[in-house]
Amino acid sequence: MANIRGCNLPDDLYYLIERHVWAKPVGDGVIRVGITAVAGKLSGGKLAAITVKAKNIGQAVQQTKSIATIESSKFVGPVPAPISGVLLRANEKLTADPNLAISDPYGDGWVAEMQAGDWEGEKGGLATGPEGIAAYQAAMEAKDISCS
Amino acid sequence: MASDKVLIIMTSGPDTPRRCATPFFFASLAAAMEYEATMFFTIDGTLLLKKGMAETVYPKAGGKPVSGFIQDALDAGVVFLACTASAELHDLQPTDLIEGVKMVGGASMWQLAEDCKTVLTF
Repeated sequence: MANIRGCNLPDDLYYLIERHVWAKPVGDGVIRVGITAVAGKLSGGKLAAITVKAKNIGQAVQQTKSIATIESSKFVGPVPAPISGVLLRANEKLTADPNLAISDPYGDGWVAEMQAGDWEGEKGGLATGPEGIAAYQAAMEAKDISCS
Repeated sequence: MASDKVLIIMTSGPDTPRRCATPFFFASLAAAMEYEATMFFTIDGTLLLKKGMAETVYPKAGGKPVSGFIQDALDAGVVFLACTASAELHDLQPTDLIEGVKMVGGASMWQLAEDCKTVLTF
């Protein structure tokens, strides 16, 4: 787990840096996705709701299209899909406690699971490993973002 | 009927500040859900689009001014349309309105309403 400018960013995840979302293969072509600690910071740190659009469950979603919305008192915005694929399920724990996505963004606070359409093709476009974390750090520095 | 279009008709204005945040918040949310969201401003709603006005309207004392909610909605891709008749009501010229607003006749509202799955009025 790398700590970059106060933000925890595990180097075994795959990041769509500019959208502050992550992807992680969990087997059988299923990819778990969520928001990063950076997204949590940018949203104000205390969420009122994370809502996966129910109509999209079972539907194909293109990379960067919205799979959910984040609401806080100072922010409303989309959770963009880090990959293309079919939206399988939402994390129901977030219904009861949306702030799991802040307190445990890479664990119990995941947002949704998707059946990847072309994981092998798309993962190359995502940032991962030490190089990916370095790229994320550069993006944060360019916009002067920190979690502390 | 397109299923991905929603319309918010905004009639509230500076006289009712507490009614002036949620419509923009809902519009931003709709855009974040990939709906094509349009706000149609008429009656006193059009006044919020007058340059400099929304900066002076606070839905909550000490909170964010309406201009912040407007900017969030515009940044999210919400389309702003202002009713020409309401502009005339308030003696507003197109150049008096903020950037990003298109003026249209009242008939456009009917066409939009028919084209949208959901219409909300505030």
